[in-house]
Amino acid sequence: MLREKRAADIAQVLAKYPPERKRSAVMPLLYIAQEEYGYCSDEAIREVAEIIGCDPTEVKSIVGFYTMFYEQPVGRYVIDVCDDLPCALRGADKFVTYCEKRLGIRAGQTTPDGKFTLNTVMCIAACDRAPVAQVNREYRYELTEESFDRMLDELSQS
Amino acid sequence: MADLVNLTIDGVPVSVPKGTLVVDAAKKIENDIPVFCYHPKLKPVGMCRMCLVDIGMPKIDPATKQPVRDEQGNVVIAFMPKLTTACTTPVSEGMVVRTATEQVRAAREDILEFLLTSHPLDCPICDKGGECPLQNLTLGFGPSVSRFDYDAKFHNEKHVPLGDLIYLDRERCIQCSRCIRFQDEIADDHVLQFHDRGRGMEIITFSDPPFDSYFGGNTTDICPVGALTTADFRFKARPWELASTQSLCTHCPVGCNITLNTRLETKSGGYEIKRVMPRQNEQVNEIWICDKGRYVHHFTRAEDRLRQPMVRRDGRLVEATWEQALQLVGERLKAAGTSVAAVVGDRIANEDAYLVAKLVRALNGAIGMSPSVPAHYADVARAFGVGAHANLAHLGKGDVILVVNGDVEEQAPVWFLRLRQAVVDRGAALVIAHSRSTKMHRYARAIHRYEPGYAARWVADRSEELIAKESLKDARNLLIVFGDEQLDGPSARALAQGLANLLIATGHAGKADSGLLPLYPHANTQGVFDVIAGADRAAASNGANGKVGADLRSPICDSRFEVAWLIGVGDASDAPSAGFTVVQELFMTALAKQADVVLPALSFAEREGTFTSGDRRVQRFYRALPPLGEARPDWWIAQEIAKRLGHSWGFQGPAHIFADLAHSIPHYSGLSYEVISKSEPQWPPMGRGDLYYGGTVYDNTGGLGARYASDAERDPAGVRPYDGAAPEPTIAGLERRPRPLYRDGELIRRSAVLASHIVPAQEVA
Ligand code: SF4
Ligand code: SF4
Ligand code: FES
Ligand code: FES
Repeated sequence: MLREKRAADIAQVLAKYPPERKRSAVMPLLYIAQEEYGYCSDEAIREVAEIIGCDPTEVKSIVGFYTMFYEQPVGRYVIDVCDDLPCALRGADKFVTYCEKRLGIRAGQTTPDGKFTLNTVMCIAACDRAPVAQVNREYRYELTEESFDRMLDELSQS
Repeated sequence: MADLVNLTIDGVPVSVPKGTLVVDAAKKIENDIPVFCYHPKLKPVGMCRMCLVDIGMPKIDPATKQPVRDEQGNVVIAFMPKLTTACTTPVSEGMVVRTATEQVRAAREDILEFLLTSHPLDCPICDKGGECPLQNLTLGFGPSVSRFDYDAKFHNEKHVPLGDLIYLDRERCIQCSRCIRFQDEIADDHVLQFHDRGRGMEIITFSDPPFDSYFGGNTTDICPVGALTTADFRFKARPWELASTQSLCTHCPVGCNITLNTRLETKSGGYEIKRVMPRQNEQVNEIWICDKGRYVHHFTRAEDRLRQPMVRRDGRLVEATWEQALQLVGERLKAAGTSVAAVVGDRIANEDAYLVAKLVRALNGAIGMSPSVPAHYADVARAFGVGAHANLAHLGKGDVILVVNGDVEEQAPVWFLRLRQAVVDRGAALVIAHSRSTKMHRYARAIHRYEPGYAARWVADRSEELIAKESLKDARNLLIVFGDEQLDGPSARALAQGLANLLIATGHAGKADSGLLPLYPHANTQGVFDVIAGADRAAASNGANGKVGADLRSPICDSRFEVAWLIGVGDASDAPSAGFTVVQELFMTALAKQADVVLPALSFAEREGTFTSGDRRVQRFYRALPPLGEARPDWWIAQEIAKRLGHSWGFQGPAHIFADLAHSIPHYSGLSYEVISKSEPQWPPMGRGDLYYGGTVYDNTGGLGARYASDAERDPAGVRPYDGAAPEPTIAGLERRPRPLYRDGELIRRSAVLASHIVPAQEVA
């Protein structure tokens, strides 16, 4: 249970909002849940809903809207490649195809060894240095097939 | 009026109150701007872009702050560079709206072309086909061909249960969010939301249990496509095959106006109700009904409806002809002399109860109603009820709504919706006193508690404190909603009287939008009381505090009679013991099984008549189905029995009876079928002619009904406080547990679609 395991963190988040507005704490609480469970599981969503006193449907909707909340278990490394229009103009779509081939999975999937998850995402505000990805939230700019390979090797070793 | 705003729409001048949206202003002059996401009962969101129009404003000279004029002296209009959504733009002085331009036409066509790229266009098998806003608007404004490849259509799941009552067809959904907004803004059950975005966006529920709301059926009405369907109606009929009859819901005191959609079914041997739809009455239910009203109709054509009179022979009930049964009842009544008691259930129409009472009075017998507790306070509720022209929609800032001992959502669902809006949207203050929590508690400014059964005591002891603490004297209006749970008759009466005293003490007695609003058990509790109490001579002179016939309050079920005549009595404990019992019923109830004669009655759907709602609105319902078997209307049965006793009344039908009733019952004088059948255009206009605007609601052509005045309103000088004493709670009172909406009963039990929702009597919290 999130409430027991992360009591202090939850209390800290809730303290930032007036009690009658505690539903505003939904996003920070979902991050805590995601940290704890690795993704926003159904159970986690219901727990968060209960903590902030709203319907689980509303929390599920937020999880569904933001790509940084995962609804399925993800690999150890989550690679979010931007394929929005400006990046696509700089070859992001071809780059995604390469990533898929190299990892042997489709965007949205996780490698069988549980190491990598590949996602395509909307603009992450780094169009000037496309193709661009976030790997576990860390930016990697001006990616090429070679630099992607190197990155995977590094990560596989760690 | 000072705050009218003047504008022109396609050259037609129109004046509307400040704050009106362009789309509604256009509606006023019958310029129908097409919409999908906009709904006049919901807050605008501007999501679908169907309502784009060209809007201009007078050009203002920055130096003089005056409108700029051209050489001819005309005000120069500066149009916006792009089209604007009419559903989110409020009117402003001098605004010029153009809806008939080429640009607007093209925009509408584009929006429809886009919407249809991912719409399956399976109209031939779609429940909405024939009454679908998307169909209508496509025909009216859409392109005749699409530039998109049919095979590239986006496909999605088609039969997604959102709960056990509502199904979603994901590919038909046009993401207008009307359903989400209804659940959020009106029902306050946040069980629907969008998930994902862009092409992946879809409606979901993640609630537990899933889509579970007393009002869910309304989302299928306002959904502008066939994306949402009810488990009850889906695939049952096409809209154009349905006949529609204006009717009333019988399940609670609200008196929702409904339309019964019927179709000829050879299999079941006649017409049957295919669905129940709301019928617009802005004073009663606006365009909403609850799911009980929507789904509890199957009893009308249940297999086990009584179709033939029955009489007891050699210990067994056997079928008989009407002549035989009536003859027998007549003989026994003749032999009984004055030892006759009639009990009338509170779903029986006014006309029927009136004739029963007329006969009992002629026989000098006793009469009572079932359930009997409301008979203890219905005179108080009538004396201090809301004004003749009250409308819950008037309540808002400055008004106080006091809810005492009642669960509004469970007992009068549509009042819950309307009262909640008065509080949440318009700022009325809500004060609740109850022994337990209810959904209404979410919106309360102040909450008071007492032990179960102590409602009347609490009011008697705490009135002064309450008046001071909640500043009740300063309130613009004071509406008091009250229920009788866990109270016996005398305590319920003491509660009503204590609350009436509160109205008097705070100066609100007799005011138009103030007064008592009783949470009666059924649709005609007030009417049955009025009619049988009025027929009692002791009650004939009934001032604001007049005494109502003692007969109605003294429990006749404790006495023994020669003949007991039970008309639609649900609760066996309301029946007196008798040497000979006649039961008029729809079903072989526990009481009917014990009876000596069982007379099959027609349901509300098979005959016409009137009900008087909990707020004293007298309304008509019409015949939707042909009679079933040999069953007859209750008024006919009463008249035939009377005939056997030498009274030939010769009433031709309910309208004829009502005229007599209105003549002899003082509160009903001035009312007639003509008066209550009057209708007038409702605002906002919705319904048949306006499907895309409001959804599949029906227009009100059957009459808006009329409310008779309260005694305090009629005779302000006669208003006097009651003696404030409140009795101790009794076991009998405490045993009257709260009544959840889906409590088990003869009628709900026959709607299989609600089976898993029914609350068995012993489980009532
Ligand atoms: S299901 Fe119907 S009401 Fe709900 S968003 Fe889709 S189209 Fe609109
Ligand atoms: S609120 Fe009452 S009258 Fe209206 S539909 Fe529901 S049960 Fe019927
Ligand atoms: S479009 Fe890819 S980062 Fe902006
Ligand atoms: S945007 Fe105006 S009706 Fe949808």
